[in-house]
Amino acid sequence: MDPDAVAKAFVEHYYSTFDANRANLANLYQESSMLTFEGQKIQGSPNIVAKLTSLPFQQCQHSITTVDCQPSGPAGGMLVFVSGNLQLAGEQHALKFSQMFHLMPTPQGSFYVLNDIFRLNYA
Amino acid sequence: MHYVLYRELISLYIFMGLGEWGKRGRGREEMEEQVEGLGRAFVDHYYYLFDNDRSSLPSLYHSTSMLTFEGHKVQGVDEISQKLNLLPFDQCQHVISTIDSQPSSFTGGIMVFVSGSLKLPGEEHQLRFSQMFHLVPSSEGSFFVQNDIFRLNYG
Repeated sequence: MDPDAVAKAFVEHYYSTFDANRANLANLYQESSMLTFEGQKIQGSPNIVAKLTSLPFQQCQHSITTVDCQPSGPAGGMLVFVSGNLQLAGEQHALKFSQMFHLMPTPQGSFYVLNDIFRLNYA
Repeated sequence: MHYVLYRELISLYIFMGLGEWGKRGRGREEMEEQVEGLGRAFVDHYYYLFDNDRSSLPSLYHSTSMLTFEGHKVQGVDEISQKLNLLPFDQCQHVISTIDSQPSSFTGGIMVFVSGSLKLPGEEHQLRFSQMFHLVPSSEGSFFVQNDIFRLNYG
């Protein structure tokens, strides 16, 4: 399958799930997964979901500006580099962010997130 | 001298068993510290070369390396070298704001995620950017950049 298409499909799925119900992100992560969120490091799906569901806002909407992807090596992994805006309910200005994902294939023919790094982009 | 210090750091981290992080018994915090230290050393070295000796940057890439620069994809040392040499500025200065690193797999690779500013001479305002690197151990006992993605962050 075309890597660009896979990356786009993942990004759409990830952020629509995030914006609708963050708890549903759990099956995108595994025990070995790592998230660094604004410098805070978390490992493992339950801990990652706990972090994301405890972020200090109820509703949000991601709008994506750029998606870049590259294969990461012989194991079939894929790197996805995203930039966009994050609109929080009730806030006048959207936050700008960048995020990178390292996706690894699962035996079922899908992908899970092995590495996830998120940073807000301050002006 | 700067380059020598970087290579010594790389050797030290590899000697300390960075490539075996998947084995049991490895303290997670210790490994995280090693990875963060290596990420910082790489970032320091990479942008030093970029700002002071850009023609030496291709030495950090291999034939399988990929660079996506503002959406433009190139592969291999020659194409990457050409892309970096043809950027429309002779001088620049990178100022780094954040560096985040994680081990990328069970084979010793490292992901490094950087944000910062790029100053160009004669330009009043700095450009803000984000960049990610995937570093992979080389057979020579060092690391090379397997993946490199660069994006400007427009205000």
